[in-house]
Amino acid sequence: MKRILAGAVALAAMGAGSAALAQDIKIGVLYPTSGGGAIYGGPAMVGHNLAVDEINAAGGINGRMLVTVARDSKLNPAAAASAAKEMVTKDGVDVLMGGLSSAVGLAISEVAKQEGVVYLATIPKTIQMTTSKLHPHVFRTSSNTDFEGDAMAQLIKKIGGKKVCDIQLDYAYGHDLSDGLKAALKRHAPDVEIVLNLRPKLRATDYNVFITQIMGAGCDVVTSGLWGSHFVDFAQQASPFGLFNNIKAYISGGEVASHEIAGKMGEDYPPNVISNTYELWYHAVSPNHKVFQEKIAEKSGTKETAMWPVLSYTGVRFYAEAVMKSGGTKSEGIIKALEGMTIDTPVGPRTINAADHQANTGQFWGPMVNKDGFSYKVMDPVTFIPAVIK
Amino acid sequence: MLDLIREFSPGLAILLTNPQFAFIQLLNSISQGMNLFIIAAGLSLIFGVLKVINFAHGVFYMFGAYVVHTVFMDWGAPFWVGAIASALALGVIAAIIERTLFRQIYEAEHLMQLLLTFAIVLIMGDLAKVIWGTEQYSVSYPASLKGATDLGITSYPSYRLMLCVIGPLILIALYWFAERTRWGRMTKAATQDREMLAALGINVPLIYTSVFILGSALAGFGGALAAPFSSPVPGMDATLIVECFVIVIVGGLGSLWGTFVGALLYGLVFNFGSVIYPNGQDVFAYLLLLVVLLIRPWGLYGKPEAGGH
Repeated sequence: MKRILAGAVALAAMGAGSAALAQDIKIGVLYPTSGGGAIYGGPAMVGHNLAVDEINAAGGINGRMLVTVARDSKLNPAAAASAAKEMVTKDGVDVLMGGLSSAVGLAISEVAKQEGVVYLATIPKTIQMTTSKLHPHVFRTSSNTDFEGDAMAQLIKKIGGKKVCDIQLDYAYGHDLSDGLKAALKRHAPDVEIVLNLRPKLRATDYNVFITQIMGAGCDVVTSGLWGSHFVDFAQQASPFGLFNNIKAYISGGEVASHEIAGKMGEDYPPNVISNTYELWYHAVSPNHKVFQEKIAEKSGTKETAMWPVLSYTGVRFYAEAVMKSGGTKSEGIIKALEGMTIDTPVGPRTINAADHQANTGQFWGPMVNKDGFSYKVMDPVTFIPAVIK
Repeated sequence: MLDLIREFSPGLAILLTNPQFAFIQLLNSISQGMNLFIIAAGLSLIFGVLKVINFAHGVFYMFGAYVVHTVFMDWGAPFWVGAIASALALGVIAAIIERTLFRQIYEAEHLMQLLLTFAIVLIMGDLAKVIWGTEQYSVSYPASLKGATDLGITSYPSYRLMLCVIGPLILIALYWFAERTRWGRMTKAATQDREMLAALGINVPLIYTSVFILGSALAGFGGALAAPFSSPVPGMDATLIVECFVIVIVGGLGSLWGTFVGALLYGLVFNFGSVIYPNGQDVFAYLLLLVVLLIRPWGLYGKPEAGGH
């Protein structure tokens, strides 16, 4: 009898314990894990999961564990918005995180605004999220189109470009990067002229019509934000025309310096490309960064890792710090904590500006060149351009 | 006058004043159209005989692009071996699908057929991810077609010129097959009266299988040809299948010549439209579709349907 009683007490205690455990912190994550976007969403989840595992292994945040509720954003704003809404209303997530593509980011941000849930945008770069469409609940830990435009203008000035052809995808990211570049050129190199603006559609596959216009425009620099397979297709179609050999540089904010592009293109990667990336597996800025890269390599099954994990990892770290600082998951507290917060990320300290909720996330920029020991082009020299607009 | 045109459309002004530029746009149109023709011809052929609108045609094209990557880039075989391997691989896949699945739905209503082909899109899309992963690949040009060819007035990428040649060659080959061979005549007869053909002791199901194999092999071959400039990546079929439908509807479903003309028109309208009015790139192709549907709903070379099915 005693035993049974003891058992019952123990059970009751366990029940109370698990009620306390129900205080798990639920993170609603949205990355594209199917279709064409899975190439980005897969590695992004690797970084996300690493951050969550590390925090939980260290005992969680004030004893509360992080739980990930992941949904597929499908590279589609409508799908992402309805998934975000469901996660808030049905799953009861405490925060929204992720988003890939500017259009998706804007859609999730809208849900966050309506539902009063904090959204940490870890990847989308359209400037609108932290300017015209800014609201108290949205924060951005990735770079943005103004930072990229500024870096591109600095590079144009550095190589002495005079006439620029700008080719950007016809959606929020492309348009905003173009605007960011134009504004930055006025600051850095007012004598540089943009002679051609081209806008292929998102998911375009035939660029010949644009390539021939660039060839005829007589520009010495081509600027672009074509990313992923858009860039691969553009480069493959432009190379036989000799486009890349006839210009000083193709300067891209589309992160085509990342290994997932350069590694896959191998010898076909065109010359004279200067581009950016958040992460280079062959370039560590600190011993901490090196350790992070090794962990990601282990989880990815290859040392030649993608650039996305560092972004999703940083998002989780910012949120965890905010929960710790505010002592809970209430949106008001999180917002207050995030504003002006600085954390140590694998690539150095990052601070979220209190006024526009934008982190000062800079990127590695540099020319892509052939180097001994590599069968594909690598960035050399690597320059970190900080996210400061002067 | 020219200033006025320049005001309205800088692209049009360049087209009018620079014949070299206009010529390049013409070649862009033809080469794009010919690649699309090869793929759309398969779609049109399958509809013409089997009367099935095969949504999975785009995913066959995607498989073609992946197979050429594996055979040419990974295994190091010559590019053309890879392209033929793509056609063969899709032929085999098509044979299996036709024998096991399509055979069940020839008599079913169109909605059932659409659902089945759509299911194949989803299943094969996921299968591609299992086999090749989710990253985009890059396929090199075959060494002999890497650069540009000097045409006198301008030089133009050799590979795209090859597309301008291979498209008409495939048109002629298909025409010859359809008109000059016993197989072609039987196929034609099968589209008109399959019961009568069966009564004559001809193996109609075999004709259906062979048509589906040929049509799908064209999708695979077209995908292989596209791979060097359209990187194999999940979802690459989505844009293409829409382009193919525009082409076969403009040309007339089931008509070989119609598909050829439709593909050329698509290339011309897309390329010249994009130069003249850059903001309307996609609109022009759909305008073409709209105009044709209004004037000749059965397509340029199609035949009006004589009283329901």
